Amino acid sequence: MELNTPLYNLSTFSEVYEPSEDTFLFVDALEADASFLLGLKPKVAIEVGSGSGVVMTSLAFLLKNSCSYFSTDINLQACCATKDTANLNGVSIECLNMDLLSGFKSNMFDIILFNPPYVVTDSSEVSGTGLNRAWAGGVNGREIIDKLLSNISEMLTDKGVCYLLLLKENNPQEVISIMSNLKFDFKLVIQRKVPGELLYIYKFFRKFKIWL
Amino acid sequence: MKLLTHNMLTSKCMKGVSVGYPLGINASDVRVSEVDFNPDFIARMIPKLDWAVLYNAAESIGQLEDLPKDLANNYENDQEFLKKVHHVLLEVDIINGELVCPETGRKFPINNGIPNMLLNEDEV
Repeated sequence: MELNTPLYNLSTFSEVYEPSEDTFLFVDALEADASFLLGLKPKVAIEVGSGSGVVMTSLAFLLKNSCSYFSTDINLQACCATKDTANLNGVSIECLNMDLLSGFKSNMFDIILFNPPYVVTDSSEVSGTGLNRAWAGGVNGREIIDKLLSNISEMLTDKGVCYLLLLKENNPQEVISIMSNLKFDFKLVIQRKVPGELLYIYKFFRKFKIWL
Repeated sequence: MKLLTHNMLTSKCMKGVSVGYPLGINASDVRVSEVDFNPDFIARMIPKLDWAVLYNAAESIGQLEDLPKDLANNYENDQEFLKKVHHVLLEVDIINGELVCPETGRKFPINNGIPNMLLNEDEV
């Protein structure tokens, strides 16, 4: 299934990350996993750190009005940009100015999408609410990734899945092992070498179905 | 911000807050707009909702219309009922106002439909 690239216009948002190779790789991962996503029959999907909103809008193109769409960003401009992108493409996304998923009840999400700030930086760069929060990842580029993963299990529903973009320098094997300890299995959905970066998108899902 | 979103939000990540649910709503600007009705989606969504919280939220902003206080039996096939739920969940949008932590009274402003749930460092 081929998804159209969403329209966007960031001309009034100087502090929002312009869709780049990582963004389009994420859209390609959703496209590659389209039949799984449709079969999952998700009710609630969220993108953490949605920036321009291009990734979430692509998911909304795929799942249409069979699902509800949410996004968070620590940067208010990014929340506004996501809302504008959704409107421009005729989809509806509920945007919240929030740190990761901190304001949500547990067991809410069937799908969590996260294109994190993955660039290896000094810890001191992981501060404020500006454009730097789109890329500055601190030590190993993992500071924000690990913060989200620490309570990912309680945020996902039983059938919930998390799509996570990682850079080679983030040490994906270590992330897989953290998730394995949380009883999540993984699948590498897509990988791509772009100038200066080797990027992967992993899908994490629970190892065992919980039968009630 | 739609009432579906309100149904999912909590202030429990604040220091000293144990449940933080449901958040109070002060709405100064509410807009109602038509959204495509997908009865199957609404029927699948209902078991996930806190029904009493949805009912009280709709009532508190004067958007209850004739939503029943209790869930209908066999609501999956009750198009009229599903349409009412659809309206309250997805067509009512709080553009400006605030959400209020039930335990501390901390207010979270909503501007242009976007709630600001960010906390100061000394609040977490």
